[in-house]
This record gives sequence, C-alpha cells and structure tokens, in this order.
Amino acid sequence: MEPGSGPVSLLCLAATSGVPLFCRGAPTRHQLPFSVIGSLNGVHMFGSNLDVALTAAHTEGTRVLWRAFHESITLIVMSSEEGANDFTLSRLLDNVFSAMVLVLGLEELANIRNVERLKKDLRACYKLIDSFLTPAERTGDLTQCVECVLVPCSTTLQECLTAFTGAAESRFGCLLVGGRVAVATEPWWQLAPQEVNLLAWLVGSLLPSTTRDYPVYLPQGSPMVPHRLLTFQLLPGLDICLLCGPSPSLEAVETELVPRFWKPLLEPLRACARPPSVPLHPGVLAFLLINHEQKRSLSAVLPRGVQAEGPTLPLGSCASVLRAFYALVVSHYFSCEGSPGELPPLEVPLGGGSHSARHCYVVSAGYKAYAAQAPPHQLFLLLAPEVPTFALRPLATHILQYLVGDAAF
Amino acid sequence: MSVPPGSVIVPDWLKSPEGKEHLAAILRKNKRKVFGLIERPVLPPQVASDTASYKVFVSGKSGVGKTALVAKLAGLEVPSTHHETIGIQTTVVYWPAKLRESGRAVIFRLQFWDCGEAALRKFDHILPACREKADAILFLFSFTDRSSFDDLPAQISRVVGDAGSLVRIVVGTKFDQFMHADVTERDVAEFQRTWHLPVFRAQSAAGSRQAGRRTPDAGTGLREVAPLLNGLAEHLWHQDQVAAGLIPAPLPSPEETGPC
Repeated sequence: MEPGSGPVSLLCLAATSGVPLFCRGAPTRHQLPFSVIGSLNGVHMFGSNLDVALTAAHTEGTRVLWRAFHESITLIVMSSEEGANDFTLSRLLDNVFSAMVLVLGLEELANIRNVERLKKDLRACYKLIDSFLTPAERTGDLTQCVECVLVPCSTTLQECLTAFTGAAESRFGCLLVGGRVAVATEPWWQLAPQEVNLLAWLVGSLLPSTTRDYPVYLPQGSPMVPHRLLTFQLLPGLDICLLCGPSPSLEAVETELVPRFWKPLLEPLRACARPPSVPLHPGVLAFLLINHEQKRSLSAVLPRGVQAEGPTLPLGSCASVLRAFYALVVSHYFSCEGSPGELPPLEVPLGGGSHSARHCYVVSAGYKAYAAQAPPHQLFLLLAPEVPTFALRPLATHILQYLVGDAAF
Repeated sequence: MSVPPGSVIVPDWLKSPEGKEHLAAILRKNKRKVFGLIERPVLPPQVASDTASYKVFVSGKSGVGKTALVAKLAGLEVPSTHHETIGIQTTVVYWPAKLRESGRAVIFRLQFWDCGEAALRKFDHILPACREKADAILFLFSFTDRSSFDDLPAQISRVVGDAGSLVRIVVGTKFDQFMHADVTERDVAEFQRTWHLPVFRAQSAAGSRQAGRRTPDAGTGLREVAPLLNGLAEHLWHQDQVAAGLIPAPLPSPEETGPC
C-alpha cells in the first residue's frame, strides 16, 4: 500500500458554513464525493442544532468520529482499519487539530475570515497531518508521552546543550536524533508532552534543510503568539531545536554559536547518529515502554535475526500491531493514568471487571503480545508466536527490570 | 555586471579525472550527499582544496518555484505539491570547481536562504535575516507567470535596498513548459539589455524528472544544475576578487554601486 492511501480518511470543514477545507488520507483519485461529505457533516450539524453532540458511529466495517473545535472547525475521521478503535481515532483528531494550531495559530482557525485563504494556508500542515495518518513506528501520537531515544555520552551532550541554549538567549533547547528527543533542557521537558512530540514530528515532516527559522504556535503554551523554532542540522538525522523570541538571528546562531559549541563534540554526535541497539530477547519483535511520571516513552521495532522460523510479521505490521495492542489495553484494561479527564472512558472493560488489571496478554496465530504495568512504568511487548505463553510473564518482568534499572529510563 | 560563462571557472572540469575525484566527495551511491553543519566534504589529502562559503538569498513571487529550485540544486527530491514555505529554510550545497586563473580547485559552500512571501509580509524579522551578510541574491520569475516577470524591477529595488555590492542573478523557472509560456525570449533579452543582469533558465520539476530518465546521470541530476551553480560561483568569486582589489572594478552602470 502506498503511503497516504491508508484505510483512514480525514475530513476538515468550516463548522458554520460546512465548506470542506481539506481531505487527507483517502487516495486523491478516490476523493469522497461531495454528497458524502455533506451528509457526514449534516448529520453532525443536525445533532448540534438540537443540543445533541454526535461523537462516534460504528458500521460493520467502518468507524466514524466527529469533533468540533472552537465552534469553528469540524474534523471527521473514518477508519476501516482492522483493530481501529475510538481511542486511537480520538487521539488522532486531537493531534490533527493541535498540528493545525501549531502551524497557523488558534486565531486564524477559531475566527475564519477568508475560507479560501485558510484553505491555502492549511496546505502547509498536510505533511504533518499525513504523518499522523501513517505513523509507522512512532507511538507518541497515541501515548501522548515524549518519544525518547537513548544515546551514549548523554551527560556531555546535555551540558553542551544547556550552555548552547543559554548562549542563544533561550531556555528551550533540544537535540533530536531520528526525530526523537535525545537530550533537552529542563524547560523543554516542561512543555506539554503533546507539544514536544508535535515539534519533533514537525521537524521530521518538513523538507530536509540545513537550518530553519519557523514560526510555531504552541497549542497549549502559546496558541495566539508565535515563537520562533530554530533548527540546526548538525549531522544528517541529528537536529538541534531552539524556541526563541525575536532575537538572536538565525545567521548569528549558526555562524557564531553552532561551531563554537558543537564542533568539538563531532565524535560523540557521530556515535549518537547510530544509537546502539537495545539487547533484548530474540523473541521480542517490538516494545514500548512508558514512564507516566516523566511522560516519556521509549519504543522500537526490532529487526529479526536470521534464526527466525515460521511465519513472521513484516516490520511495518509489527509497528501497527503494537499500536493496536496498546490502544486495546489502555482503553479496556489499564487505567490511563496521568491523563485524568483528558479522555472519557470510551468503552466498558471487556469482562466487566471493576478492578484495574496489572498484566494482560493476547495470543494469536501470528504473534503474542504482553502488557505489564508497574507504576510509574508500563511495558508493551510484541513477541514472536514461538515464544511459549508461560514464559511471557517472566520475560516481560525481566525486560522491564532491565530497561528501567540498567538502561536507567 | 555580468561575468561571461567559463571566464573564471573551467567548464566541464567535473568530467576530468581530477574533477571526478572532487565530485566523489559530494556524492554517495550516485546521489548527492547531505552534509550537516559540523561536517564538510572529505577529500584525499593530496587534493585538499579550500572551501569558500557564501550566503545566497532566493527571492521571488509566491509560487515561482523557489523551494523547488533549491531542492533541485541540492539534489533533493522536489516536493510534488506546492505550498507556501513558512518561515525561513536554508540549504547548504557544496560545489567543487576549478579556477581558470590559478588552476586551483575550490569547493564552494553555497547556503541558499529560502522563505515564503507570506512569511516575509507577516513577520518583520525575516527579510532582514535573509539579507544580513548575504553575498548574492537570486531573483526568480516563472516563464509561465507573466506577473512574476513584470514584478522583477520592483522586487529588485525592494529586496536589495541599500545593500552594498551583491551578486544579482535572475533565474527563469519552468522554462520547459512551452505550452504555458507567458514570457518570451525577446522579453528576456530586453530585460537583460536594460538591467545588465545575468539570466539563467531552470526546468520545472516534472521536466527534470522526464529528462532524468533519458540521461546517464539520472541519479545525481548534476548536468542540469551545473550551469547555474558554476555561473553563481563565477560571479561570487569575481565579486570577491574585485572587493579585494585584485581585478579592476567593472564600469559602473547607473543602478550599480562600485565596490568599497
């Protein structure tokens, strides 16, 4: 399947006029007919006129979710994906609107003055929005925790980043490796996790550039007043990000500060560009570890060794199976801690228990999946089908201990 | 001021054995290599060359193809759909060339500054940031958009402002879309006579993709970008020589200020 033609379609309309602003996800040659768009919007509008909020509908093969933002923008998502659930789609709508705010600012979205102008401006968000529709191996959009990566020499890099950020008259600095946060200054961590992820995904969605000076509106911290996001590509796949006010100029930071602070660290940075693989049991296909206290996550899809036997999932589906498993577990079994009131419980727990589960697993012909929680951590594992079921629990406990203890996450 | 092509830089030098050795430093697997800010092309010690860095501001009306041109010059994939660039994005292109006079090989480090028109109007800091310490400005117009061509004089005066000696080069984009051409060769010739500025031509993204399939350097696309990159390098080098007093200044024409 080519990217961008997934089974998820997203519609964005101006709420009051019903004018479609954009449609993403569905292959462009099979764009939804205007009558379908009109009906989807009409049924939602009909409800809201009667003070009924229509949030979701399920048909045999498709789920539809509606959400209106600031009584100005309506987003509608439809998914015929296997394993799609309301939790995932609800997060998607939230991320998409935040992405629109990040690029355009809330003012332009909440008070639409010129629909045609807005349509044109929204094109600048397409790449970022598309990355939410085809998230591949990423998980931060679902977990709303900052996607991190472990790198060697993090102490040295942290010190250098703090000094560099200070020299650039800023407090917000971050080093991204492959689009994930390797080190960041303390104020950067205090941004909302969603904002940190959005900034990282934004950098990944833009055209590859050596440096950038990009106005961003932080959806929670500063939705009306833009800040300058400066990015500096130190090495391919390795970017420094700064959030600044009116000064300093891009030119000054690049020519005066970047060589002074980062040139001496060329070797440690080179080592970061190819982070060491996490040595885990060969049966592990993918993992996701969340620290709810710090709002950080660590995840990877692991390439299988040659000794793999039997049917194996391709790498791409490993990632999507793990995402579906995560969504299933947090919407049915694990209480979604750390996000009180953020999302109402969308579904009743399967089996109807009122207690909160600490472990759960799924066994299927193609894979096994195991989830364990030991506050503040949650671990989600995707394993090869040949791993014996009785070994799942000790394996998960062992991996959790290793990642939390030795890798010090 | 116009420097005749081939007067400063040896044309087609990249096809010679020495040129190929330099070329290898900027290529990887027949594609252009991407360099971060703290790296540079590595050459074998016996051919080590100097690097000359320049800042080039890319200016032009919305939709003429500023971002697409820079992507093409850098050997990056040209985006298939258009949207206005938000803020500033800069791209570094390394370009080896041999100087005719001294016989020396020099690696030109050209940093292209690209920003969207809307961003220029919305945020005050963008135009000064692009102009700050710029060595050259590329003025773009599109052969398929008459108004972008007619706007050139106004744009030149607006963007150059009171900046001192700057290399000024005009680039006409989407040159291959004859069906939609809105600007004729005669228009361009007349413009050149009045303004004494060099004019280069660039293909549209779709055109390059088609041509790319026919030529042997399909992966690198170097053949297509070489004339413009060489031309830009020649003008920049010439300007430096003039500024250093090594060669006499060109005859001042009414709209040009001499070197200080």
